[in-house]
Amino acid sequence: MIALYRPGTSPLHRLPAGPKLIALMLLAIAITVFASNAWYIAGASALVVAGYFAAGFGPLEILRQLWTLRWIVAVTLITQVIFLPLPVAATNTGRVVTVVMLATLVTLTTRTSALLDAVERGLGPLRRIGVDPARVGLVMAMTITVVPVIAGYAASIRDAQRARGAKPRLRILVMPLLVMSLKHADELGDALVARGAE
Amino acid sequence: MKFDVRDLARIAVFAAIIAVLGIPGAIPIFGNAVPITAQTLGIMLAGAVLGAWRGAAAVVVFLLLVLVGLPLLSGGHGGAGVFVGPSAGYLFGWILGAFVTGAIVHAGHRRPTWWRTALGCVVGGILVIYAVGVPVQAFVTHLPLGATALSSTVFLPGDLIKAVVATLITMGLWRAYPRAFGDQVRVTPAAKVDATVR
Repeated sequence: MIALYRPGTSPLHRLPAGPKLIALMLLAIAITVFASNAWYIAGASALVVAGYFAAGFGPLEILRQLWTLRWIVAVTLITQVIFLPLPVAATNTGRVVTVVMLATLVTLTTRTSALLDAVERGLGPLRRIGVDPARVGLVMAMTITVVPVIAGYAASIRDAQRARGAKPRLRILVMPLLVMSLKHADELGDALVARGAE
Repeated sequence: MKFDVRDLARIAVFAAIIAVLGIPGAIPIFGNAVPITAQTLGIMLAGAVLGAWRGAAAVVVFLLLVLVGLPLLSGGHGGAGVFVGPSAGYLFGWILGAFVTGAIVHAGHRRPTWWRTALGCVVGGILVIYAVGVPVQAFVTHLPLGATALSSTVFLPGDLIKAVVATLITMGLWRAYPRAFGDQVRVTPAAKVDATVR
């Protein structure tokens, strides 16, 4: 699985993950709530673009990230245009794109493992209501290793059905996938119990 | 709510199933042309199969992995961006949606029935998710709530199909592999015999 992180040594890359995430959430909410006119949004997007350059990404990377947002842009713009005048619709869509591009910058400049650690630390206060951050971390690690296994099941089921000339359909694919996957889960659970995990 | 190790394995595997349902090409759905995701099918199934708490936990684990930068959402999306974009509320709604689906399907620790599974998938997998998603989308895009709700009905037919498919799969899985439903549901002798015969 290829993470979205892009290695680098810029100041943005070196910022600790936890504070970066918190700053992002506050900034995103601030822009969403307050940036209601085109000038604010232009200013905010100029700052985001400056951030991409500061992190060592060129215009090409910015365009590539914008391209991944094409569906968000299309859906947002179309629903807005139906109900609102065009300038307002464009402004709103611009703001959404700015906020998402800002968040993407955080993802691009922060190592997945650093974010995992930050999430585990962030869950600390939930210990009081019975959430064990270490167990959450364990399950997340297990999920990462299990994804390729399940994807492999899906591929082999699809191939087998194709070989029999069956038309690929959602239900006849997911049904055996669930049986195989949940059997795997039970084996995994048995293996963990046998090794004394609890 | 205390999870044992076998529960953790089931939670991890179901989080992975939700991820695999988003891999483009892995699951044929409307020719992969439109950004319609089979992942909400995974949300319904997580609740219906694992029950309220474990189903919601599987969704939380999946979303945390998306947050730390793994491209697990359909179309290879992921990272912090999706949690500040227009669809952020739907993602948060998935957690509550899986919980409500599980609470209805597993009500009173009884074996799943056709009507209760269908009701759970529609209420938890559709109504609850929209109830959380639409207000957040209105907040992010500054489109009035009524207009946002109206535009979101575009996705209703697809979601209803997914609820039907999720119901068929859940009842099929109950016959094929009742153990998947865990200790939460008392497996009746009839179901056990059924499973060995098949």
